[in-house]
Amino acid sequence: MKCAWKELLAILPLRLRADVDKYGKDTMQELRLRLGRPPEIVTDRGSRWLPVEVTAQDLSFVVQTASKYSPWAASTVAKGYITAAGGHRIGMCGDVVMKDGSVAGIRTVTSLCIRVARDLPGIGARAAGISGNILIVGPPGSGKTTLLRDLIRQISDSGQAVTVIDEREELFPAGFMQGRRTDVLTGCGKTEGMEMALRTMGAGCIAVDEITAQEDCEALQRCCWCGVRLLATAHAGSIRDLRCRSIYKPLWDNEIFGNILILRQDKTWYTERMMVCR
Amino acid sequence: MPVRYIGAAIVFLSCGGFGFLKAAHFRREERLLAELIRLLEQMQSELEFRLTPLPMICEHAAQEAAGSLKAVFSALAAELEAQVAPDASACMQAALKRVADLPENLQKALTMLGNSLGRFDLQGQMNELCAVREFCASHYGRMQENRDARLRSYQSLGLCVGAGLAILFL
Repeated sequence: MKCAWKELLAILPLRLRADVDKYGKDTMQELRLRLGRPPEIVTDRGSRWLPVEVTAQDLSFVVQTASKYSPWAASTVAKGYITAAGGHRIGMCGDVVMKDGSVAGIRTVTSLCIRVARDLPGIGARAAGISGNILIVGPPGSGKTTLLRDLIRQISDSGQAVTVIDEREELFPAGFMQGRRTDVLTGCGKTEGMEMALRTMGAGCIAVDEITAQEDCEALQRCCWCGVRLLATAHAGSIRDLRCRSIYKPLWDNEIFGNILILRQDKTWYTERMMVCR
Repeated sequence: MPVRYIGAAIVFLSCGGFGFLKAAHFRREERLLAELIRLLEQMQSELEFRLTPLPMICEHAAQEAAGSLKAVFSALAAELEAQVAPDASACMQAALKRVADLPENLQKALTMLGNSLGRFDLQGQMNELCAVREFCASHYGRMQENRDARLRSYQSLGLCVGAGLAILFL
């Protein structure tokens, strides 16, 4: 198991670093910082509360250091998260600033959820044997991104060129092995990224993390109809949940994904076929 | 008798030297301000077209600069990379502490720059950089007014005061 732990500690306030390092190094999945309350280290075995109170300065420090003191370089703040060095995603809650009907930023941060990015080489070996397009679904924290990362690596090493549209810069942060035939496009939206990969990279396989919009689904369809293999992840607890979300309808209607890997909360998974009920 | 002459010569040279030193300080401040204006322009371009993160912008600036400004931007980049200070303003304060002997106006401009860094979105940051650049430019402009006359007067005033004191001494 690999994790950019040093990078994670570097974004934490100095007074928390030793405790987080002591109690969370190997098992921490999330660190939750809430204003005026103690920090919570979430592991697969439960929570541990540190004996200090989180201050506004602590929250500001995390946001400043995670964005390298450069709000303009962390354009995702308006979407409520920042990806720190090492691929750790920091979700934010607080006092939102609206401009022209859309979120422009967060004025005062009151809660942070720091999710630890871990790399588990080999977990995608079984899934790599599946042919055709693969959609990985699961509830938050079930390991969709971790499985996708290794699946990309396995497919890439087995001979197919994979272009990864890594909008959140979480899939392959510095230090994580990419695979021999992996090309990574970071920083741009999935729809634009897929178009670029299709037109310029001669991608045999395109991978995207977390399809959340209708436009993403439409771009996936276009790629599929161009003969490109697709790997993607989506939030859903089950096939039923997936069917209930209207944005995924085009994927169902056109049977874009032949295989759906459904992750359970305990990180195990099973496969189902995507078929239209006619 | 010769001791008197030696003393008078020392007084004369000291006063003259002070005048020349003052002129040299003036030229140094002028050169540093012009360099800072150029660096701020580069920082604006880097931001506008590449959205470069702050530590990298400061490293680039350090590579482009020389002397005291190189030291300031190197120290600022190091402070930002260390991720110990709560914000960019604190990083700039720490960097300025490391570099001694900066002209007052330059210190003021750099403090203004530090206070503005990393607090706004792209447009806000560009506006702030522009404001600091204008501050530097207006001061530079004031320095350029009667520049040669001022430099001459520093030097000749030093020499005249030195000569006067030396005569009184003799």
